Amino acid sequence: MGLKMEQYGMVLSEVESGPGGKRTLELLFGPQHPTSGHIRFFVELDGDIIVDIRPDPGFVHRTMEKLGETRHFMMNIPLFERLSLPDAINVTWAYSMAVERMLGYDVSERAEYLRTLFGEMSRISVHLYDLALHAIMIGSSTGFMYGFGLRDLLVNLWAIATGARTTPTWVLPGGVRRAPPKAFYERLAGFLDFLDRKMDEFYRLVVKNPVGYYRLKDVGYLSKSDAAAYLATGPGARGSGVDWDARRDMPYGVYKQLEWEVRVHDEGDSLARTLVRIEEVREAARIIRQLFKAMPMDGPLVGHNAAHKIPPKEREMLNELVRMSGYYVTTTNLAEGTGVTEGGRGRYFFQVFGAGTERLFRVRISTPSWQNLRAFMKATIGARLMDLPAIYGSFGFFPPEADR
Amino acid sequence: MEIPSWLLSPRLWDFLFDGVVSTLILLTIVWAERKIAARVQMRVGPLHVSPRLGGYFQLIADAVRFVMQEVIITVDSYRVLFVALPPLFVALALMPSFMVPLSPYLALLSRPSLHYGIIMALAVLFYLFIIVVGMGWAVNNRFAYIGAAREALIITAYEIPLLDAFASMFLTYRTIDPIEIVAKQTYIVGALYNPLAFIVYIIGVAMATSRFPFEIADYEGDVATGPYSDFSSIFLALTYAGGIYIALFSYSLLGALVFLGGWAPIAPGPWPADLWGNLAAAAWVMIKTFILMLFFVFLRSVMPVARLDHTLSFSWRWVLTIAVAATAVSAAEYFLL
Amino acid sequence: MAGQKVGEAIRAVLDVIGLGLKYTLRPERLTIYYPYEVPDYMGRVRGWIGLWTERCTSCMICARICPTNAIKMYMEKNGRRYPGIDYGRCIMCHYCIDACPTYALYPTDMRDLAFYRHEDMMYTPDMMRKPPQVPKLVPQVVKVVHEYSGGRVVKVRLGELGEHKPLPPAPSVPVVES
Repeated sequence: MGLKMEQYGMVLSEVESGPGGKRTLELLFGPQHPTSGHIRFFVELDGDIIVDIRPDPGFVHRTMEKLGETRHFMMNIPLFERLSLPDAINVTWAYSMAVERMLGYDVSERAEYLRTLFGEMSRISVHLYDLALHAIMIGSSTGFMYGFGLRDLLVNLWAIATGARTTPTWVLPGGVRRAPPKAFYERLAGFLDFLDRKMDEFYRLVVKNPVGYYRLKDVGYLSKSDAAAYLATGPGARGSGVDWDARRDMPYGVYKQLEWEVRVHDEGDSLARTLVRIEEVREAARIIRQLFKAMPMDGPLVGHNAAHKIPPKEREMLNELVRMSGYYVTTTNLAEGTGVTEGGRGRYFFQVFGAGTERLFRVRISTPSWQNLRAFMKATIGARLMDLPAIYGSFGFFPPEADR
Repeated sequence: MEIPSWLLSPRLWDFLFDGVVSTLILLTIVWAERKIAARVQMRVGPLHVSPRLGGYFQLIADAVRFVMQEVIITVDSYRVLFVALPPLFVALALMPSFMVPLSPYLALLSRPSLHYGIIMALAVLFYLFIIVVGMGWAVNNRFAYIGAAREALIITAYEIPLLDAFASMFLTYRTIDPIEIVAKQTYIVGALYNPLAFIVYIIGVAMATSRFPFEIADYEGDVATGPYSDFSSIFLALTYAGGIYIALFSYSLLGALVFLGGWAPIAPGPWPADLWGNLAAAAWVMIKTFILMLFFVFLRSVMPVARLDHTLSFSWRWVLTIAVAATAVSAAEYFLL
Repeated sequence: MAGQKVGEAIRAVLDVIGLGLKYTLRPERLTIYYPYEVPDYMGRVRGWIGLWTERCTSCMICARICPTNAIKMYMEKNGRRYPGIDYGRCIMCHYCIDACPTYALYPTDMRDLAFYRHEDMMYTPDMMRKPPQVPKLVPQVVKVVHEYSGGRVVKVRLGELGEHKPLPPAPSVPVVES
């Protein structure tokens, strides 16, 4: 037809290195690709094999750290929960923890229990989100709908308890903002039973199904030493046998008083990471069931130091809701504080430096997706093109969280 | 009133029946696919348009939308093939259903050529992949290339087993004539004569028409619907969103004739030989076709997508083995029955 | 964890097909069919923000604590400034309500706000006095909630959607004479 190869898009690059060199096709995967998310990958393909992959992140960079320096430290909470909306509680918990340590605030016992409960709900939420996207990436629309259908029930419970489906703005330095109603606990117990049944069906439909099983098995192998060297975190690390979980190793909340296990798989492939997710959902349900028994149903929602700042008339309401006026007049100390929580995708780290004014001098954020990106790239090299979505989903890579 | 003889021509009625009923079946099957998937997935599915009919007219609304959309032909594409191939795809996909009889008398072809109807239909259907590869080339986009290359690989996976399955059945029936094949299935349908061949047929058709779990050439996960990735509006309706279902219809019609007993009546005894009897026989064939199609679209709601190399090795190691075993069963039946 | 055996794989496929058939015949549906049905959040969801102008002391804390700078203080005829909210920016975090020292801002649970133009989103103080009239899209809107029993979930209808009410009343605070 009189067209050159370059003209009809088949741009092949040739490298003269090694015996025979290589002849590769560069594929621009994203950012408007159905399964890429807000990131672009430059994928170099030799036939069906990915020989090189380079990420091009930053499409949803929102200058979170800089914005955090320009406003009252309380105004950062709605901002930072937009790092990762599926995991909103764990993100704001880490930030609040950092601010608490900077201000020297204590957390009331009831708030610790409530935070742990909601943190585990947040973990279920983010695991359902990731499992759902992973399922649609490997082609199972039923797995997708199961994940999002279940998560919809969960966020409806959040709406009752915190006031918003996906943006709770619920964890405050020193405590939590609002107490959940009685109906919330009853429905949550029922939801956990339903979740257990549906997760079992999800496992049969997507993971045990041989089609899905062989999409995940032996795909995207990440060795234990690589996982440690590339600082993978969350299921990305625990799927490779790295036994690290901030809930156990840097204890916070009331996790120390509860019976639960860190789920670790040694295989290091996509299947292991997916199984870690599914088992963590079950562990989270187990933790929440224990919390139902141990939880104090009454008491102030914030610790003593934070309550001290709140005007007396508003202090009377502290069992039900926390008003913001006390926080508004609080200024930061000339101190620093760090907060670490284990979110669904891995370790959230916040470090805040007080400036003596209402604004923070500096906020440092480290998010799990950004850490997992290098491990993800490492796991992808050598895989087949059809494995790229299967590996992507298994790391639960979430560009808005990585780009911040 | 005297009915003119051309009005009673079986060819005319075959053409009309096949055309009208296949359209109805296609609309219903797309609706059924959505509804089945919705039921498994804790959803409602299409409902808002015509709630009393369970949202059936949503399909009409979608068809209107497809037709009204702007036709976009990308700058880099090869325009002639870009425009010509989608209609050709539908034509090739629908043609096989006109090559086989729908009842003892309703057929577009007459005797000497009708004898080879199923063979010709299969030959035409196996050419569909060339159209898909051509579309991948005409679209001129890297994802489309990869999808087209995959389609070209997949045909090596399903062509031989599928042919083998049909050949086994021909061996069992000792004929390739569609009318005689159906006549031999009066009491026992082909799927019971040779279940192995039926299994190979199911897997092969799922591969051939990109049904789950073999939606590989047009897999959304990495190649973004592959060869169809730059098609819009009517072209998309003719290929990805409609044409493939027509190919599925043709394959299922062949399967209904060869494996499910065609128009062989439930109660023994021939259908009435008049027009109504023939139409009833044809309707019976279409019901079986519909049930087969229903199974293929049902797979979407329970299956992920298999990997390309796994599909190829699965096909060559297992499906081909089953197909050879099916041939052995048929050979045994050839000598014993 | 070796690969699946052939028998195991076949059984898993049949199991999955059986699961699909089970739900094809007896679906368990979660869909809340908006706008015919709306989920019931027990009135606890954060929504549209109202203003009792007579309580407002024009302290402007709400405008300053707003994380998105959605609140603007409008000069009124009496020479005082009152807050007005730009709903194009508001993220419904209700910081302003919680920060207000005189309980002049009050919460509602109206989240179904939609606007035709950007100008419509700018609420001035007198527009914030009483909740906007949200037209019902269909004559009958039913509130539903998911109830759980024995590992199953059922959608329960709670009756028709009534008027939106303000959330539990704030403690009485003397009205400031303007």
